[in-house]
Amino acid sequence: MKVVIIGAGQVGSTVVEALHDEHDVTVVDLESSRLNALSYRFDVSTVEGNGASRRVLQEAGVSEAGLLIACTSRDEPNLIAAMLAKKLAPQVRTVVRTTDIEYLEVWHERQLDVDLLVSSELETAHAVSRIIGVPAARQTDVFADGQVQIVEFEVETGAGDGVVGIPLREARIPADSKVASIIRGEQMIVPRGDASIEPGDRVIIIGSPRAARAWSEIMARERKRVDDVVVYGAGRIGVAVARLLLEQSIRVRLIEANRERAREVAELLPNARVFNATGLEPDFLERERIGNARAAIFAMRDDAKNHYAATLAKLHGVTFTIAVVHDAVSMEVFERAGIDVAINPRQVTAEELVRFAHDPRTRQVAMLEGDRYEILDITVRGESSLVDVPFRELPMTGALIGAIVRDGTAIFPHGDDVLMPGDRVIIFTESARVAEVERTL
Amino acid sequence: MPARALTTARLRRAFRRETVGVDVEAVLDLVGAVLKWLGLAFLFPAAIALWYGESPWPFVVSAAVTSGFGWTLEQATAGKERVAPREGFLVVALVWLAVPVFGALPYVLSGEAQLANAVNAYFESVSGFTATGATILVDIESLPRGLAMWRQFTQWLGGMGIVILAIAILPRLRVGGRQLLQSELPGPTETERLSTSIRETARRLWFLYVGLTAALIALLWGYGVAGLDEEMTLFDAVAHAFTTVAIGGFSPRERSIEPFSPLTQWTIVVFIVVAGVNFLRLYRAIVQREPRTIARDEEFRLYLLLLGLGSFALLVELLANGRFAGEEALRHAVFQAVSIMTTTGFATADYTEWGALAAVTIVGLMFFGASAGSTGGSVKVVRHLLIGRLLRRELDQTVHPEIVLPVRLNGHPVDERTLRAVLAFVLIYVGLFAIGALGLVLESFRVTGEVTPFEAIAAAAATLGNVGPAMGFAGPFGSYEPFSAVSKLIMCALMWMGRVEIIPVVVLFTKAYWRA
Repeated sequence: MKVVIIGAGQVGSTVVEALHDEHDVTVVDLESSRLNALSYRFDVSTVEGNGASRRVLQEAGVSEAGLLIACTSRDEPNLIAAMLAKKLAPQVRTVVRTTDIEYLEVWHERQLDVDLLVSSELETAHAVSRIIGVPAARQTDVFADGQVQIVEFEVETGAGDGVVGIPLREARIPADSKVASIIRGEQMIVPRGDASIEPGDRVIIIGSPRAARAWSEIMARERKRVDDVVVYGAGRIGVAVARLLLEQSIRVRLIEANRERAREVAELLPNARVFNATGLEPDFLERERIGNARAAIFAMRDDAKNHYAATLAKLHGVTFTIAVVHDAVSMEVFERAGIDVAINPRQVTAEELVRFAHDPRTRQVAMLEGDRYEILDITVRGESSLVDVPFRELPMTGALIGAIVRDGTAIFPHGDDVLMPGDRVIIFTESARVAEVERTL
Repeated sequence: MPARALTTARLRRAFRRETVGVDVEAVLDLVGAVLKWLGLAFLFPAAIALWYGESPWPFVVSAAVTSGFGWTLEQATAGKERVAPREGFLVVALVWLAVPVFGALPYVLSGEAQLANAVNAYFESVSGFTATGATILVDIESLPRGLAMWRQFTQWLGGMGIVILAIAILPRLRVGGRQLLQSELPGPTETERLSTSIRETARRLWFLYVGLTAALIALLWGYGVAGLDEEMTLFDAVAHAFTTVAIGGFSPRERSIEPFSPLTQWTIVVFIVVAGVNFLRLYRAIVQREPRTIARDEEFRLYLLLLGLGSFALLVELLANGRFAGEEALRHAVFQAVSIMTTTGFATADYTEWGALAAVTIVGLMFFGASAGSTGGSVKVVRHLLIGRLLRRELDQTVHPEIVLPVRLNGHPVDERTLRAVLAFVLIYVGLFAIGALGLVLESFRVTGEVTPFEAIAAAAATLGNVGPAMGFAGPFGSYEPFSAVSKLIMCALMWMGRVEIIPVVVLFTKAYWRA
């Protein structure tokens, strides 16, 4: 497949590195020095120019391309490149990197004609959240204009009255919802009628928004209070991390040295405690008992500062430190220095961008549990072998149809429903089976 | 017309001096325009007087004098298309000072003995237009009907605001009205608009105001016709509806709302509570049918809570004394608490005869006021709310010096400038109250010494807060008549400053205001 990549920065380079082997890659960037460096390392063709220009896109061969990845550090040129590419070549699938969560919301509502939108901040935040040990619990995604919701829960002891510990066929499962999967340790259990949800499992639910709320009421009972987390640096990444953790009702304290920014963030996040401090004064750390925090995340702009602050926090008693790395070299330095985890947002973003190499009918995907499971939104072909087969006769494999969107309305299928050509189906599947699922439908 | 031209030229020279940074001429022009139209207001009591077979002449003459003066002032000065923010303060302050002067004309011209004294007439007029409700009348019911209705009508005009009315109807205020609305519609936060044009906003506010008044008139008169209230006549219905919706408190009855049936009293309480809500929110809730915006409003919730607490304190006092029991105790407690806290000033019982708890509660309630953007006066609930949050933040910051805590109102951060303004307002308010109380005490020593300190404090609070009745002889069924002339003028100043929310008056006394 021909792939056009706009932007040859750190994210772009990582993407090129991952794709150059299997695909025919063209890279577009404004700076020839970056392009030279890339073409020296990999077998890729390069075009110097503005990726948001029609002429440059044509020159890069977008009309024969199957995939366009716009990953410069600026949102609007990325979006314009993707939109122009769609106009020039309707077959091309577009993947766009954004730093703005609002674009992400708009995209989720299907108002942006982009196949996949990836936010570095959000991906990093998810990565942090997974590491802290409250992995994406309550991670939710919406599909089909918000009519279908995917929710992931961690089943805690004592929670889940009427649902946990009994065979699924007897469990009181909220209407218009399905258990897509039960994850026990490393294993995925196919949710047949005789399977049951047990404490410690993770369950993935597909259902209507109302059903999703019903589930969260069932599962939320006796949720244990998680200790607080300190985030150094209230930049975009710091705020995204804080926001995600707050959504999981974790106490978050943000430390920001810039006075105006601190105020801005305090206004943005009413539930976070924001401190206007550098986080480097021992007095402050002592007074605010930073050492008692369960984890500290270092998301300041400067790697060296993150390094110093993390070491200082360790001295004050913080046991778990996660640092955000901006320079790939720092990764090793950090881990050598005893910082527990180092995350490179550009790396995380590039990985997410690369994952999108699917069938053209697939409109939107979401990842669960890192990259182990995916949610697909696929349109059913007329010649699919599953058309007109009642649901109860469909084979039970690792893939499960959670909802059907027919004529714009979501249907949560029962045993007697059948698939029809042209239906959009929301499918939960293991990542390894994506190709198989696409083939069958 | 050489004489006029000369005056004009002299005025121009006086006001157009480079050193003065305020366009006084434009301000006077605007005040003139307001007065010119105010003349029309006298036609209403004139009609009432005719209907009852009384002489309409005091009103007709007042109308002619007022309009004539206004017209002359407007002619003699050059107006401006826009009123700058700075001029807005002077317009508001002058309008509220001048309008009562002309409003007092019928009192003096009618030959009514109680109001013949110019200070008394001015006091009554200020108390009317500022919707305070303090009266110097001793025998209210002997007043001719036309004059009695004029008292009520001044409160109705002043309740919603003369300047807002002017914005709504004067064509020339189409553009510059925003600043005026801001300084007249009381409240610490930026006035939201109901419509894209400020003029349409002013119109909608008046539309709602007139609507509420009409509804109350219909209800009260209905009670009278249906025999639910033997005392209620059409005259009473109109008179009381005017001063209820305006949160004024004047009544043509000697004993205020006491003679009316419990049903009437409860109805009036409900309307006072409604009129004490922010009118912009009220418009959204009633006319645009979005009641949730009110129910979720933090100021509204605190307003109801405070009314509830005040009522409860009075109820405890009444039940403990055994003065009233059952529904009667509840009704009197709720009515007095609502009437005083919202700064109305009606009464269904003489609270001056109740105990110490009641006296302290009532004077305390005078400092709360109704909601911002309502027709009520005093400090306003939202300011108490913000100051409470400011104090809480201050305490939090003593323990955590580095913490950044924006103060929020209904979830939205309030900027620090607004908070400082709120703090400044409350400090000046308390300061003025203290100075006023001191002035009253000193003056009473000079004259007779019959005013007790508590009465002086209550009178200062009641006039600065535009409440009306105070304590002792100036209680709800009493009169301010015994105060000396100087005391009355002090209280006129307090009512005036209270009505325009102090700042427009106080800035006039700063050098920075006048500097170019």
